[in-house]
Amino acid sequence: MEELGKIHQLVVTAFGYELRFNLEVISWTWIVIICLLIFGYIAKRNRSIVPGIFQNIGELFIEQFYGLTEDALDKRLARKYAPLICALFMFLLFCNILGIFPHLGEPTSDLNTTLSMGIMGFVIAHYVGIREKGFKAYIKAYFQPIFFMMPLNVIGELSKVISISFRLFGNIMGGDIIVLVVSYLTLSLVLPPFLIGFFFIFIGAIQAFVFTMLTLVYISVQVK
Amino acid sequence: MAIEGAELVKAASLLGAGLAMGLGAIGPGVGEGLVGSKACEAIGKNPGEAGLLTRTMLVGQAVSESTGIYSLVVALLLLFVV
Repeated sequence: MEELGKIHQLVVTAFGYELRFNLEVISWTWIVIICLLIFGYIAKRNRSIVPGIFQNIGELFIEQFYGLTEDALDKRLARKYAPLICALFMFLLFCNILGIFPHLGEPTSDLNTTLSMGIMGFVIAHYVGIREKGFKAYIKAYFQPIFFMMPLNVIGELSKVISISFRLFGNIMGGDIIVLVVSYLTLSLVLPPFLIGFFFIFIGAIQAFVFTMLTLVYISVQVK
Repeated sequence: MAIEGAELVKAASLLGAGLAMGLGAIGPGVGEGLVGSKACEAIGKNPGEAGLLTRTMLVGQAVSESTGIYSLVVALLLLFVV
């Protein structure tokens, strides 16, 4: 079990700083992005009243998440932010399922990916809050119950980023480690396929959905 | 042979990892069980809404699981970083 915790890094020294790139994670992320682009192209190529299989899958995603966004926000905001929510879910789902292929891993088992997704959701939620309520009402929300609750509110907002990104990272990384550890035991041909099916597909889909729903909830909390 | 120095630190970190994982898994276990039992009650009362209830239950369980995941991250840090 020597390879546990080891990652390939490209270290570039520039202006006295060391820049570290996780090359594997970057290439996996690009694989996911290219797969999504190809899927989108195939889904919209032959549009018709009777949908083909790829158009059907695409319509399924969009219909479900449009409905969820419309429930959480109102109709006008849903037109604007449903594409974001849908794209976030599809990206995370493809990321979590990429681990079932040999020699590939999940980009989400690196903290950098999940933390950047969490920070993106945080920034978007606060941008939407300032844009919809106005700057004054946005600042006022921090002093909500009484005046000196402000530091607690700020810490609560910041801890949302930590909790949402560590949840996804921990679930995917924990699944990876459990599969790796069980693979070294006996019955290594029998058990790991079922564990991979459970951890990578089931847990991956649920965690992608939870991440998306929590980002949506953070946006709707800022709007109301 | 006495255990001292770096070995003591390694032993303490292994012990700490086990304690963190074992104690940290109590809360999420109780919480997920409560969510599951309440969802079963609700589906029994209102079987028509089973899809919505199952979805809400899964999201609630995944959220209440997060403290267990934090303890997992702490245990991994203790195992592989310290």
